[in-house]
Amino acid sequence: MPAPTPAKGRGRRRALLGAVAAIGAVALLAGCSTSSGAASSGSDYEKASKDTKATLTYAVWDENQVKAIKANLTGFNEEYPDIKVNVDVTPFASYWTKLQTQGSSNTLPDLFWMNGPNFQLYAANGKIAPITGEVKAGAIKPDEYSSALNDLYTYDGTQYGVPKDFDTIGVWMNKALFAKAGVAMPSKDWTWDDFQKTGAELSEKLHADGAYGAAGGMDGQTTYYDTIFQAGGNVIDKSGKTSEYDSAAAEKGLQFWTDLIKSGASPSIKQLTDTTADQWFTSGKLAMYQGGSWFRSALTGTDLEKDVVVYPLPKGKEQATVIHGVSNVVSANSKNKVAAQALQVYLASKQAQQQQGDMGAVIPAYEGTQDAFTKTMPDADLQVFLDAVDYAKPLPVSKNTAAWNTLETNLLPSAFDGSTPVDQVAKDLATKMDTALGKEK
Amino acid sequence: MTIHTERNPATGTPARTQRASGPGAPGTELPDAPRAGRPPRRTDGFWPWLFVLPLLVGVATFYIWPIIQTFWYSFTSWGVFGGATFSGVANYVRLLSDPQLYQSLLNTVIYTVIVLLGIPIAVWLASLLNTTGLRFAQFYRVLFFLPYVAMPAAIALVWRIMFNGDYGIVNWFLGRFGIDGPYWISTPGFALLAVSLVGLWSSLGFSMIILGAGLKDIPPELYEAAELDGASRWRQFRSVTVPLLSPSIFFVVIVTTISSFQLFDLLYAILGSTNPVIPKTMSLVFYFYSAGFIDNDKGFAAAIAMVIFVLIGIVTLVQFRVQKRWVQA
Amino acid sequence: MTAMTSSTRAARRPGRRGGSHWWIHVVLGVGGFVMAFPFLWQIIMSLSTNAQVQSVTPTFWPGELQWQNFAQVFERLPFLSQLGTSVMVTVIRTIAQIVLCTLAGYAFARMRFRGRAILLGIVLSILLVPSQVYLISQYQIVAPGLFSAFGTFLMRTAFLNLPPELEEAARMDGANPFQTFWRIMLPLARPSISVLAITTVLWSWNELLWPLVVSTRAEDMPLAAGLATLSSDRTIDYPVLMAASLMAMAPVLIMFIVLQRRVMDGLASSGLK
Repeated sequence: MPAPTPAKGRGRRRALLGAVAAIGAVALLAGCSTSSGAASSGSDYEKASKDTKATLTYAVWDENQVKAIKANLTGFNEEYPDIKVNVDVTPFASYWTKLQTQGSSNTLPDLFWMNGPNFQLYAANGKIAPITGEVKAGAIKPDEYSSALNDLYTYDGTQYGVPKDFDTIGVWMNKALFAKAGVAMPSKDWTWDDFQKTGAELSEKLHADGAYGAAGGMDGQTTYYDTIFQAGGNVIDKSGKTSEYDSAAAEKGLQFWTDLIKSGASPSIKQLTDTTADQWFTSGKLAMYQGGSWFRSALTGTDLEKDVVVYPLPKGKEQATVIHGVSNVVSANSKNKVAAQALQVYLASKQAQQQQGDMGAVIPAYEGTQDAFTKTMPDADLQVFLDAVDYAKPLPVSKNTAAWNTLETNLLPSAFDGSTPVDQVAKDLATKMDTALGKEK
Repeated sequence: MTIHTERNPATGTPARTQRASGPGAPGTELPDAPRAGRPPRRTDGFWPWLFVLPLLVGVATFYIWPIIQTFWYSFTSWGVFGGATFSGVANYVRLLSDPQLYQSLLNTVIYTVIVLLGIPIAVWLASLLNTTGLRFAQFYRVLFFLPYVAMPAAIALVWRIMFNGDYGIVNWFLGRFGIDGPYWISTPGFALLAVSLVGLWSSLGFSMIILGAGLKDIPPELYEAAELDGASRWRQFRSVTVPLLSPSIFFVVIVTTISSFQLFDLLYAILGSTNPVIPKTMSLVFYFYSAGFIDNDKGFAAAIAMVIFVLIGIVTLVQFRVQKRWVQA
Repeated sequence: MTAMTSSTRAARRPGRRGGSHWWIHVVLGVGGFVMAFPFLWQIIMSLSTNAQVQSVTPTFWPGELQWQNFAQVFERLPFLSQLGTSVMVTVIRTIAQIVLCTLAGYAFARMRFRGRAILLGIVLSILLVPSQVYLISQYQIVAPGLFSAFGTFLMRTAFLNLPPELEEAARMDGANPFQTFWRIMLPLARPSISVLAITTVLWSWNELLWPLVVSTRAEDMPLAAGLATLSSDRTIDYPVLMAASLMAMAPVLIMFIVLQRRVMDGLASSGLK
């Protein structure tokens, strides 16, 4: 209870309070509308009326998925016959260069694909629109997608991208090679030790054929990120500002691969740079390939297909796998925002996702639409990839993921090939990565 | 994609400016002296501008302006999507003390030298190809020109497969001689060597065509005279062929040097973007690309671009000086 | 080019007759083989399966020829429409370059105007800049390749090598510079124009970077860019890519074979020496 104030002071105080209140109100309003860098008018979403006329550009990078996209668009046009969508395919390697150029001149496509490594850059610079409005209106339901995926596309508490598809990591096993080596297939409940032992044994028995049991490599998403998570560690901390490579857990995760190469279970790093692990597998020279669900498309129609079965990743301290997926984002400065959001909503719907799964080379993100995927190779137990979502962790990313990915590529080989102690490399990498993260704006 | 095939028309021959006083076919060149009784023309009025303007406008807009912009950017610091702030010479200071710059420069020079080694080979092959009455000459010519016609992206992939350490044809071939081939693409020194060999391979055809044309114009009487004087074939080659061919050789050297200094596409296509040997193997332009598009540090990248520009300029100027002494006018 | 026929030349050219030819064929044959080998390999790859291409022991002959890879190209790419784009872009660029560069080349060679040397120097300096640099400029560049420093120099040299008396004569007859250019100098420069045309065609046909960044629909892309779309971010379908590349290369290769003589003659008299 405020002490009684003299009459004069009360008047002044009231005026002051009034002023403060007024300023506060303005500030509140200002905060609600466009803020400085991030989220522009994101919370507004209006459902497009059926006769909305617009021409949209939808940018993608995978030519293989165009058929499925076009099928989606046919469905979309049934609801919105006057919205014309131009699908713009740019090869992955140039996609980001092009996008950046467009971002700089504010001519981004109305709707486009976004991936984890590049997401934060666009979100932090206000180039993409949040989906808050759509979620509020019930047009998009985040619960229908894996929470790890939603997290991947959330920046500063706001979600910007709606997951379109996902992939997880498992182990592709070549049963025929196991049989040839006379090694029994391990249990699906296996641990790191099991994996290492099996790998070494296979390599020894298959030596004459020039084949190997397992393979390391420089693809973090399929190899060392997973083992780092399985050891209980992280690559980058939650705030995305510090590297966690120098933790004991991360070092354990890296050591896994050094041991694998040292024991002869895996080809050397040089060999793996020349010929990547997936190529060893498709040539029938690798018995166990740690790979993503996307690898399925490389197998369909080949002789290898009938010999393949999928295992979950071996357990370390815990069970983990890396999940990643593409999302659809709307450009914040799109001139056809309403129409673009309508498209975004449609592509996120169960019906579009089901269609995508039935037709395409990807696993759709929407809960319950993934059955088509498992049916493509009925004997391979592709269900493993779907079950993995439960223990999946999102791909490590930051605003400039590529910068420290390059550091990983340059520094880790000497840890894996045993020429430098792992903890030394890890600390070096962590320091350099911190510098790179510090530079991010 | 550039092997030598994406001959960005902005790669050409400054050599021509000297050629003004060079030897055409005998008898076609005369000094541009005023004729008796006519005052020298000062200017041709507005006509030249009519001729030159379309090109100049285009060049200025699409080439000059971006270069000026890049120059400006090199003094700024950038966010990814714009927002340049002036930072003075900070980029240059950082650049000149960055060991990667010197490594990239060294790699580029090594590549250039190896590719230039192809020129003597090209001279020799061109002279063989020029033998009169040679059957299948057309056929050979097409073969040698093939790399120039190829689609660079695909050819680079083929080479990458051929250089594969485990199943590539190059190592298989070496194996027949008992040599244990290295993992070309994944070993620092060998990666550069592999890329250089491909560069050499792809530039040979172009050089041969130019040199072949130059050879055709050497009057046979000179060879006869030399032979009558008792000169051996090798002597003839040294004293007749090479000097008279020197303008062509010079042209080829200049073009090849400038083009080699701009090495990027070939390197990128053969090594791939996630190859641990990249830092030790990258070229100057690759360094530019990695700064500008991977690190997103456009101001720094602009500074690199300016340095590249200056370096190529210096190298070209030096070659011109050399030309004055060695090339027979 | 002297008026001597090649047979008299052969009789006079020292040490290059008859018997010593065989070793020349050996050298050129081996050299040619090395040049052509990657293309042979490409053909083999285009007839194999992806697994065979990447198998850890080289597959020299696929056994079963996978001709369907070529058919697949048409399925995976709008090949014909991309071919059309390539042709159109190439033709436009070639014509534009010929027009602009001959005009400018002539002016630089034979006309006097203030600042000629400086402008020439500026145009020259472009040659030193790698093309990737232009990407960081904000420019929405739609049509580079219509203008060429290389082409300008080529034509300038060609014109420099033509006898000035012709011009003087024309001038005395009262022709204005354009008429002189059009009627007299241009036809004489035809060989160099052929060279310019061919180099532009080759360069434009294989060009990759700009079309990728600029074009939108797959149908609008030229072939080189279209080929790039065959490699997704994770897998490369080698056989189809190789098949597509061979098919894309074919038109230009045929053109070169047919016009070979023209090229050689053009280069020889272009004063490149």
